[in-house]
Amino acid sequence: MFVKGGKPDLFIFVAVIVLLSLGLVMVFSASSIMSLSEFSNPYHYVQRQTILALVGLVLMFILMKVDYRIFKPLALPGLVLSFVLLVLVLFIGKGTGGATRWIRLPGFNLQPSEVAKLIMVNYVAVYLSNKRENARKFLQGFLPILVITAGQFLLIMLEPDFGTGAALVFTVFVMLFVGGAHLGQFVSTIVVSLPVLIYIVSRKEYRVRRLFAFLDPWSDPTDTGWNVIQSLLAIGSGGLFGLGLGRSRQKFSYLPEHHTDFIFAILCEELGFLGGVSVLFLFFIIAWRGLRIAMRAPDLYGSLLAIGITSMIAFQAMLNIGVVSGSLPVTGIPLPFISHGGSSLLISLAGIGILLNISAQCRE
Amino acid sequence: MRSLPSTLNQRRILTLLYIIIMVSFFFFFRLFYVQLWQNSFYQEKALKQRLQAIPLEGLRGSIYDRNGIPLATSISAHTVYAVPAEIVDAPSTAQTLASLLNLDVDFVYQRLKKRSAVEWLKKKVSDREAREIVSLNLPGIGVVPTSTRIYPNGSVAPQVLGFVGIDNQGLEGLELYYDSYLRGTKGQAVFERDAHGRSLEDGIRGYLPGEKGNDLVLTIDLFLQKMADEEVRRATLETGSRLGLIIMTDPKTGEILANSIYPSFELNEFVKYEPEKRKNIAVTDTYEPGSTFKAITAAIALNEGVASLRSGFFDPGYIRVSGWNVRCWNRGGHGSQSFAETMQNSCNPYYAKLALDLGDQRFYDGLTSFNLGFKTGIDFPGEIGGTLRKPSPQIPLVTWANIGFGQGLTVTPIQLIAGFGAIANEGIYSVPHYVKELVTKEGSYPPDIPEQRQIISTSAADTTAYVLRTAVSLGSGKHAEVEGYEVAGKTGTAQLVEHGRYSHSKMVTSFCGFAPKDDPQMAALLVLWEPQGAFYGGIIASPVYARLAEKALPYLNVKRGKVDRGTERQIKVPELTGLSLAQAEAVLKRNGFRVGTVGEGSRIIGQVPASGAMVDENTLVFIYTDVEYTTTTSEQPNPYGV
Repeated sequence: MFVKGGKPDLFIFVAVIVLLSLGLVMVFSASSIMSLSEFSNPYHYVQRQTILALVGLVLMFILMKVDYRIFKPLALPGLVLSFVLLVLVLFIGKGTGGATRWIRLPGFNLQPSEVAKLIMVNYVAVYLSNKRENARKFLQGFLPILVITAGQFLLIMLEPDFGTGAALVFTVFVMLFVGGAHLGQFVSTIVVSLPVLIYIVSRKEYRVRRLFAFLDPWSDPTDTGWNVIQSLLAIGSGGLFGLGLGRSRQKFSYLPEHHTDFIFAILCEELGFLGGVSVLFLFFIIAWRGLRIAMRAPDLYGSLLAIGITSMIAFQAMLNIGVVSGSLPVTGIPLPFISHGGSSLLISLAGIGILLNISAQCRE
Repeated sequence: MRSLPSTLNQRRILTLLYIIIMVSFFFFFRLFYVQLWQNSFYQEKALKQRLQAIPLEGLRGSIYDRNGIPLATSISAHTVYAVPAEIVDAPSTAQTLASLLNLDVDFVYQRLKKRSAVEWLKKKVSDREAREIVSLNLPGIGVVPTSTRIYPNGSVAPQVLGFVGIDNQGLEGLELYYDSYLRGTKGQAVFERDAHGRSLEDGIRGYLPGEKGNDLVLTIDLFLQKMADEEVRRATLETGSRLGLIIMTDPKTGEILANSIYPSFELNEFVKYEPEKRKNIAVTDTYEPGSTFKAITAAIALNEGVASLRSGFFDPGYIRVSGWNVRCWNRGGHGSQSFAETMQNSCNPYYAKLALDLGDQRFYDGLTSFNLGFKTGIDFPGEIGGTLRKPSPQIPLVTWANIGFGQGLTVTPIQLIAGFGAIANEGIYSVPHYVKELVTKEGSYPPDIPEQRQIISTSAADTTAYVLRTAVSLGSGKHAEVEGYEVAGKTGTAQLVEHGRYSHSKMVTSFCGFAPKDDPQMAALLVLWEPQGAFYGGIIASPVYARLAEKALPYLNVKRGKVDRGTERQIKVPELTGLSLAQAEAVLKRNGFRVGTVGEGSRIIGQVPASGAMVDENTLVFIYTDVEYTTTTSEQPNPYGV
């Protein structure tokens, strides 16, 4: 089961370790104030995050050593499991702000939507690599994947958790795209689903306002524009070198979710343009090396798996930075390796473990 | 069937890479733009939202009397405030503060629970209490210095001074009129706070104290004010009047030396008094002046050449004006009189005649030169101008005839005394004012008061002053005489106008005069509203002037001199008050006087000319009896309409 052979991709490994370390520092810096007032312990959040990061690293090392092909037969059972979890969370789930996203486990909150992403990546990789010829066909190839994806997306939207749902759909689309699906199939899918999406969004006037608030946050600075404005104030205050580690002012309850979804803004405030660009660069390294692994993977399944994992992480990073920098509508999504949050961290590190294992088996 | 590629579509992977590069570049430039290009913009905005300023009031300027005695000053007092967001344990904090500051627990608790940035809990906290609160170090509770008004000499001329509100803003009187001037510049305490309003421990803290405001030196003299206070109080109580007023001015400058109203109020407890009782009626209320106004009519007539000292008039007891009989208060008439005698006798028909001789336009122009019907421009808020309508064909001549002897128009006390001031001061009108000097850090300068102006000729003014002198020395104002000073003045009694009609029982009685006649140092007006019993100005108002002048003139360093009692003195009028009607008639006839009786009673309560006056033989002496005399003048139309 363990494979010997080539070396795992050092670029990705280093980038992830740097991001993870930076993440712990930033989680501490951003959460200490809140942590102190909520738990009388400034280390509460960073302690949990450190433990999870260590667990995640162990998981990553294990998966790095385990041949990725053992996941092939787990595709269908995994899919069933993820559906069960996604339905279960709707009934016994916990969460904040009216959303039910987590299943409470001893010492850990499991987020089924995060798990579903990785399982879906594996399932699509198996599906497309087994029925290679089907990828180009609509009824036998494209449609079943679309239906399964739509099912998972709808379950995730019931929680609701638009960010993770979008990441799932995007990842599947990229895999289908690279897997060889006709462009016409994408176009027709978009043409069909767009009116439905527009209908859903426009049924409630406040959704439309929220959606476009990022374009002109100052028109409603205390409500729909608040997050974007506070995020921009944090980023913009940073300048070139930042205010210095731990010196963020926006973390004093001005910026909501400053240790989770909006942690990148605090990072930019404390570490400045140089810090922000470094993070951007590290994610770019992961994406570039991930795609490179996909091109050199020993088999089609490994290739698709690499594409799925890479695009999953890259899309999440782009969506998060896009939201935080006021370039996209506000959507709650964590920044991989940096944001506080267990499920996202474990799944990302697990994905990186698999990716590194594929890289170790790459052709030269 | 086409052959399938063995590997993935490499070109599509490259397309993906290009997209990622493009997106990365977009974010690179986005961060560049927000963090570097717009850096200062966002930094400033972020700072602004974090900074919280607690306004600090600079000390309010002081108000001094003309000799530099403080009437109102401000001291720095402690104010306890709360920052609700920083309160940790509201119930126990409220408990502690309430017992310490002697406040209601509920009141404090509600304040602590408010969702505002800063709540003021108590002002004027003592040093000891402030120190105790600071030492308790309660989270969210602090003490800052604020300005508090105190009155070192008590409630001096409170209607003039006015008072300040809870935020140190002038609410009434001079405090209001000169508010922007007295008010200190604002300072502030600044601190950096989180989104809930709690101050940041390592945040910015700044303290910029406010600057003290400028001072005022009033024209009021504390000692003259006290004299006036005493006399107005005594006069009001003795006559059972509802309200009394004394204004004292320097006729040469228009400076108001005293402005006393009884009943008065306490500045420290102004909220306990109704607004009506806090008014400075000298400026904000009008009344019908009655006979005192004859001085103004005389001055205008002399100035216009309509009358002279040599003028004479035969009074049959009435004068016919376009079908109306304007009656003299003495129904029997005053008979043949010289110009001066018409003033001494206070002969209504003659002053009606002067008004008619002037004609409505000329009379009106003369009145407006005295600022009658207009505001004087005094430095006081809420001044009104009184009622004086412009001449028009709709206004019948009889209205102007009535105005000639002070009926059918209203004036503020300040307008009347300013008019007397001009007569006293050779025809030069000075706008009355309360402030002598504005004192700033750069130096002192006089307030912005309209310049003095000549409104009637010096000779017209001097002649009027002479006639007014005889009205005191020989006429109805005899009780205003002061040993060694030449007092000039005129009494007046008018019916109070209630709901647009003359009241039959309520009177306003007054005396307006100045002394010494040839070098006037002090003019004063006494007005009593609704005196009980005897109400003639000559009897109840004149003595008040005498008592006041007796103390005020020596205080003003006016030397007593030889007094000229007038050129027509021959025999002395005896004292008749208190005698029975029969006795009085007997005394007068024995001494060679003619007798005129006013009223239907049997006991004498007053007389004109007053006792001691030197008059010609065979002069008509009026005696007033104790049964109320019902109407003072005529069957004239109500001048106000309804």
